[in-house]
Amino acid sequence: MTTRFLPACVLSLLVLLAGCASPGSDKTLTIAVNAGVEGSALKTAAREWGELRNTRIEVVELPYANLFEKESLDLASRTGAYDVIMLDDPWFPKLVADGGLTPLPREPDADFLASCLAVCRHPFGTRNYYALPYVGNSQLFFYRKDLFEKYKLGAPGRWEQILAAAKAIGAGEKMFGYVMRAAPGNPAVADFMPLLWAFGGDIFDAQGQPNLSSPEALEALRFMIELGKSAPPGYAGYNADEVSAHLLQGTAAMSINWPAWIAAMDDPSKSKVQGKIDFAPMPSARAPGVAELGAWLLAVPAGSPHRQAAFDLIYWATDAGQMREAALRGNPPTRRSLFQSGDLVKKFRAFPAQLAALEGARPRPRTPQWNEIENAFGVSLSQANSGAVSPEVAMQQANREIAAILERGK
Amino acid sequence: MNAGQMTGARRIPSGLIWVAPALMVLAALSIYPLLYLIKVSLTDAHGFTATHYARLFQDRLFVVAIGQTALYASVALTIEFLLGLALALLVDSLARGRAVIRVGILAPMLLPPVVAAVIWRLIYNPEFGVLNGTLRQLGFTTANLTWTNGRLTAMPSVILVDVWEWTPFLFLLLTAGLQAIPPEPIEAARVDGAGYWQILRDVTLPLLKPTILLALLLRLMDLLRIFDQIFILTQGGPGSATETMSLYIYRTAFRFSNFGYAAAMSFVGLLMTMLAARGLMRLMTGERVRKAP
Repeated sequence: MTTRFLPACVLSLLVLLAGCASPGSDKTLTIAVNAGVEGSALKTAAREWGELRNTRIEVVELPYANLFEKESLDLASRTGAYDVIMLDDPWFPKLVADGGLTPLPREPDADFLASCLAVCRHPFGTRNYYALPYVGNSQLFFYRKDLFEKYKLGAPGRWEQILAAAKAIGAGEKMFGYVMRAAPGNPAVADFMPLLWAFGGDIFDAQGQPNLSSPEALEALRFMIELGKSAPPGYAGYNADEVSAHLLQGTAAMSINWPAWIAAMDDPSKSKVQGKIDFAPMPSARAPGVAELGAWLLAVPAGSPHRQAAFDLIYWATDAGQMREAALRGNPPTRRSLFQSGDLVKKFRAFPAQLAALEGARPRPRTPQWNEIENAFGVSLSQANSGAVSPEVAMQQANREIAAILERGK
Repeated sequence: MNAGQMTGARRIPSGLIWVAPALMVLAALSIYPLLYLIKVSLTDAHGFTATHYARLFQDRLFVVAIGQTALYASVALTIEFLLGLALALLVDSLARGRAVIRVGILAPMLLPPVVAAVIWRLIYNPEFGVLNGTLRQLGFTTANLTWTNGRLTAMPSVILVDVWEWTPFLFLLLTAGLQAIPPEPIEAARVDGAGYWQILRDVTLPLLKPTILLALLLRLMDLLRIFDQIFILTQGGPGSATETMSLYIYRTAFRFSNFGYAAAMSFVGLLMTMLAARGLMRLMTGERVRKAP
């Protein structure tokens, strides 16, 4: 009996030992990417890099809402599940604050746009780099150029002009003059921030205290609600899908939107308004117009068992040659030279507007508690836009709740 | 020690051995996670704390979420029960075709809740959805019918999806209960001259009571932890019109990374569910707290 089973036991042990080989020996790099156009380009680039370096690439593709939770859990417990992570820039302060990211071994070159580089440093804009900017996302103003010409409205430059144009187009055409996102959380806040900044307000004052009950902030919210009168009913529950569907179907004339939707506007299989949508930087009001930054970054978790290879991959994916390939796959670059490259500008007509928006784009406040602040603020904004509370109550409520969140974080 | 005592002493350990596997599974899957949840809810970065519990009822969003969850659960449970009972009685009274109708009624319940929510999201779309499209074809004005995006229509819209998907569950249990009722009491009542409604009120429903209680309890517990449909349909909006407890707990844990506070909310949610279930049992069985004579 023993002699019969001994070889089988030895064989099983050998198989087990082979399976438990050290993590460094298997040459597999795991990357976490966003399920969407931004992630698709990185997936392709990573596979090419894997073939060049003879390394197996495992891609974990997750929807936006789940990507953060998976990454933050991995980084907090240092499981080393991911070697490279793709992260939205507002997540950076939270992920880096707990020591979850590895500092870059060398500084990025000067071709990267300053606004994109600043969000890769901790503390913000100073000290060490912990990530490289991969996708140069910032808001743009989308508008129907044909209708602006028809109604002799001039290029959109100021918010007061946008409101008048929304009313004129709404009255003259069978469509909504404006459409915006005002669902609670990120959507409402993202569409409100350019208004808040343009009216001279901000979420925090110079002392870092919430400043949403300021006259400027209140004026910006009142303006948003006024603009909402030209938007489809129920816009207080809208997210990016609904806003873009209205633009693509030709049922709305203007909106704030993100570069990921530019290609769809000229795609005959998706759009009824090909060539009719133009793109402009954010309009101004009391202050110059500023877009919100939403860059996608690449970073290496502190728990990664293959840090050297992971850094090699992220430097390779963000060099000018590879970023050009990513741009051709639909990702806005983060390098000035690519935005100014003649052949790319010829292919992507929004590049000049994107560069102008990115250069002046402002990131969301750099605090690890941003997700919670954005949720509380977004609920109040959405309530005001749905008519559940007045602008005054919404702003006082948001101010109070943000103050409590900051207090708890001390 | 006499012989009887010795036998008893021997029986206890042997009984324990037989139930030990079940106890171990219970401890591993239920008791340990619950104790761990309580521990996490009483801990922060600095050690032991009760601040998570102190914060609970000062948190406007949590209070709103409790109110919305209670509203959602009570309205959905009432409608689902009444509809499920009506359908069960109707199908039970049919002479032929019961099996086919039963399969048809059960179809929505067989869909994963996420799939059902995605289908309804498309149906509810104010511009391109089939609901407003049909209403427009019938000559109604749908300009302000925004369903899940409207402040006043969002909650009824998400409740309707729940009713559509889970009424079949109550129908299924109540049908099984109706079939288990012996025919003799009903026949006796009929011989005594009782009409349909009198038989229903005085014979069928009292005999169906244990099944009704089980069905309501299972459904109530499920409704109080509603998450997936609302997550897909409204994300709690517009404003906080459809914010529920599970959604807020999920955000607190996985978006705000505040596991201590999320654990405290979860524990309070568990206590509330137990209280609601106990209340429902008392209501159904007429049980009162027994006082000492």
